[in-house]
This record gives sequence, C-alpha cells and structure tokens, in this order.
Amino acid sequence: MDQKLEGTPKATLQLDGHTVTRSDVSNDWGTRLQWKISRDGKEVATVAAGIVPTFEHADTAPGKYEVVLQQFQYVSYLKDKDGKFTQSKYIDISAPVSYTI
Amino acid sequence: MLHIGNEYLPLCSGQTRRSFLQVGAAAMAGLSLPNWLNLQAMGAVDEKKAKIRNCITIFLVGSPGHLDTWDMKPDAPENIRGKFKPISTSVPGVQICEHFPRMAKIMDRVALIRSLHYNSGSSHENGQRWMMTGHDFDAANKQPHMGSVISKMYGSNGDLPASIVLPTGIGNTGTTTPHGQESAYLGSAHQPFILGSDPARSDFKVADLEAPAGQSELRIEARRKLLHELDDVQRRVETSSTLERDTAYARAFNLLTSPTTKKAFDLNEESPKLRDRYGRNTFGQSCLMARRLIERGTRFVTVNQFDTVFGISCWDMHADGSSLNNTYADYEHVLCPQFDLAFTALLEDLQQRGMLEETVIAVISEFGRTPTINPKGGRDHYPSAFTNFMAGGPIRGGRVIGSTDKIGAMPHDRPVDPPQVIASIYQAMGIDLETTMLPGPGNRPIRLIDAEPIRELFA
Repeated sequence: MDQKLEGTPKATLQLDGHTVTRSDVSNDWGTRLQWKISRDGKEVATVAAGIVPTFEHADTAPGKYEVVLQQFQYVSYLKDKDGKFTQSKYIDISAPVSYTI
Repeated sequence: MLHIGNEYLPLCSGQTRRSFLQVGAAAMAGLSLPNWLNLQAMGAVDEKKAKIRNCITIFLVGSPGHLDTWDMKPDAPENIRGKFKPISTSVPGVQICEHFPRMAKIMDRVALIRSLHYNSGSSHENGQRWMMTGHDFDAANKQPHMGSVISKMYGSNGDLPASIVLPTGIGNTGTTTPHGQESAYLGSAHQPFILGSDPARSDFKVADLEAPAGQSELRIEARRKLLHELDDVQRRVETSSTLERDTAYARAFNLLTSPTTKKAFDLNEESPKLRDRYGRNTFGQSCLMARRLIERGTRFVTVNQFDTVFGISCWDMHADGSSLNNTYADYEHVLCPQFDLAFTALLEDLQQRGMLEETVIAVISEFGRTPTINPKGGRDHYPSAFTNFMAGGPIRGGRVIGSTDKIGAMPHDRPVDPPQVIASIYQAMGIDLETTMLPGPGNRPIRLIDAEPIRELFA
C-alpha cells in the first residue's frame, strides 16, 4: 500500500523584522518542511525548516524578500533520469510574508 | 472442505453435525473474521492475563542504510560516508543523521545497537525472519513471530487480539518465502490479527469489524441467540473439545458488536493536534493506532512501515532507475522526516500517558546497506553490519551497544546477532527466559529463544 497523503497542510507565519516564525503545521503530512526565499520575485534559496520554528535568511543584498513555508507532497517515488521526482514536489503551505532590505 | 478464515474443516471424513451447524450459523451471522477469532479457543490460549509489559515493534521494511542514519562515518571516503551529515544528540558523543532532529533530542531514551549482523543471505525475507522470529529459514521447521509467541504464552488481555499487525502484512519483497509474521507451529489461533487497511485514509474502516452489508446489529444479535440455542442442544451430547470452539464464535460476535473494540481502532477520537504530531501518513497514524491498541489491552503490536519494496518510496535505496529507484531524495524528503516525527511522537505520547515504562519499543530492520555506494548512487542489501534500537520498559536509554569498523562493514566490538535482540525484547517485556518454556513442535517444551539478552540494554 503506497501512502496517499490527504488534505492540505497549513501553517501561519509571523514576521518580526527579518525573522519569520511559523505556527505548528495542521494536517502535517510528516514529510520535509522547508523555507523558500525569493528576492524580487526570483527564488534565491530553500532551507530545511527543521524543528526550530523561527528563521532568518542570512542574505542582506538589497531587494524585496518573500518567505513561504513549504512541505513535500509525496505522490509517487517516480523520478526522472536525473533523479528528480516527477510527480512529488514541494507545495506552499502558508501565505508568504515579505520585507525589504 | 469448508473454510472459515484460514481454517479448514473436514467434511468428507470426520465431519460432525456440530461443525456443520457452526459453519452454517457463522455464515448466517455473516461472519468472515480472520482465523485467530475462529480458532482462538482451540489453540489452548492461556487466559491467565499474566502481567507482562507490552511491545510495539516498528519494522522498517526495505531497511535503512546504517551509514546514512544511525551509524554515520563522517571521516570515511565520500563513496562510503554518503550525502548526509551527522548531528549531535542529547547524549554526548552520540551522533545520528541530520534528518532525525527530533530523535536527536530524545536519544537519552533510546538504546542503539550498532553491531547487529548475520551471515546467512541477504534477501528481505531472510532478514524479516531473523528479526521477527530469531531464526534462520528452515522450510521444514518454520518458526513463529514474536507476537504469536506472546499470544500463545499469555493470551489476550480483553476483547482485542493479543497480537496485531498494522497497517497490513508484508507482501511482495522479492521472494515467495515466509516473512516471519506467521504463527507457524503455534497454529492459526495465534496468527496476528492483520488490520489490512490504511488508518491515515479518510475512508478508513477495519473491514472485519464492519457488519456485513444488509445486516444490522439487531439481526446479528438475533443470530447470536440462535447460535446459542443450537449450542445448548449440542452441548449435551458432545465433548469439551468441541465446546472450545464456542468461545471463538462468542469472541467474533463480541468483536463485531462491541463499541469498545471498535473505538480502539477509531483515530477520530484523538485530537487533530495529536494526529498531526504523529504525521498524517500511513506510518504515523499506524504508530498512533499502536498506542491506542496497547492502551486497550493488545499485548504486541507490529507496525510494518511498508508492505512491499517495489514501486513505492521506501528504505530499499538501490537507486536502480526502475521499481527499486529509491535514493537519497526519498530519505531526505519523505522517509527520514516521517520516521522522525512518528517515532518521537510515539515515545513522547507513551511517556505523557505514563505508558512508556510498561511498553517496550523495538525498531528493527532486515539488514543494513552496503558501505560502498553503488554506481547508481544507492546502497544494496548488507546483513554483515546494521543498527536497530530499543526504548521504553526497562531499556536504559542513551546507550550505544557495540560499534562497527571505520567504514561500517562489520562489527568492531560487541557483535550482536538477531536472536539476542529477540531475547532482549522478551526480557524487556518481563519474561524470564530461564523459566518460561514454549510448547514447541510436538508440544516439546523449548525456550522462547535460544539466545541471551543483551545485558547492556538493562544495566
């Protein structure tokens, strides 16, 4: 029996300066959580969210930063020839927060 | 022959009117419960409700690479140490994989056995039999699962079966030989009850606890009375051995109609927050259900993390580009996080409920994985060295038993073999291995396992 992940995980983010704090994840699939950081609309980093609920991105280059929490949505083990999942992927599970440097 | 569950009742010869009536009455009641129910009374189940600890065994089907999880070798060459980094734990000097951050925080409650090994073949099934029966494969002398031994020796502790396998039995893992989760010579009465359904699904039901279509509980109760009346007549003329079977049918009815039993399987009784803490996935919810079952009287729960190694994300990281194409990506994004969440949730939940001292947790696997990464970036089967672990009950946490050499190829000190792990589980459950004998084949008394426990787990 291959696991079928149901429902949609959700978390809320709070921004304090450049520090983001996440809530617990509801409907947590248990798969990996990560922070996705974008600058001026372009993804610049993904960082494992780990068990610490707070995160501050180290980059100080000027621009508008957007941070969102993502979780890995497992659909199947299938991968392409480069080893990347073809059906499973990270999805946003929070609304983004943003700040400008 | 008639068939009830896995039990065959002879009709051509040796048929009794009673057996025919029983089958008919059971069919009338719409019963299709697994054979443990039908036969529990026949198998000399000891209902003495002996005081032993319970056990939850988590079986990591597919088997994690020890060098990528709980026995990392950061100083080894790159093609051996792998992709992941070690992190410190709550036990000074003990490191585990970075993808187990929650487990790292509670390592003081966990005892790692890093020097497990055996040398008799590296099929999944071989490892399954070693780790769940303590015996190498012998087609002519199949050995019972630990849960079946517990069922035989201590019986059930209430309406629930003594031994339950979640969420389902192990299916195809490569060969057609047994998986070590059978009752073997102990008989059908001690087969584990297999849930056979995914508790994480919103439409989850225990099929065998559902009244057959069109049969209300009222009708089932009416049929129970009819069966009882038939039994009364027969009881006057038949022997005590046939009466044993009555209990099986009574249990079947009880299980089918008992609200308490049904509640044991109802995860909706748990708070959404706790369900989230275990992880809303098959493995996480199975671990939560294991706790519920133990709480309600089941003595031995086996959680199979997977039922196959083919075509799914599992620990069997051959990276073969085909149906065994598990890689580091599966470990990082799915397997390690889900295990980390569920295992730590189980330990914390048991502890918060005051159940951890009375519940032994054993996390076991078939083998380790090759120290050298294969040309496709995976690791293959490797029984010469691997890590399993235990917690709960009298197990002393924060311990590391044994070690492997610099590349994790073989035990460096304190080698441990699978029967010693089984013996340790029994001892942790409170069973005196010197005085407790199992009726073996031909009812010859034998030790539960022919090995000594790992004393360092208890010292």
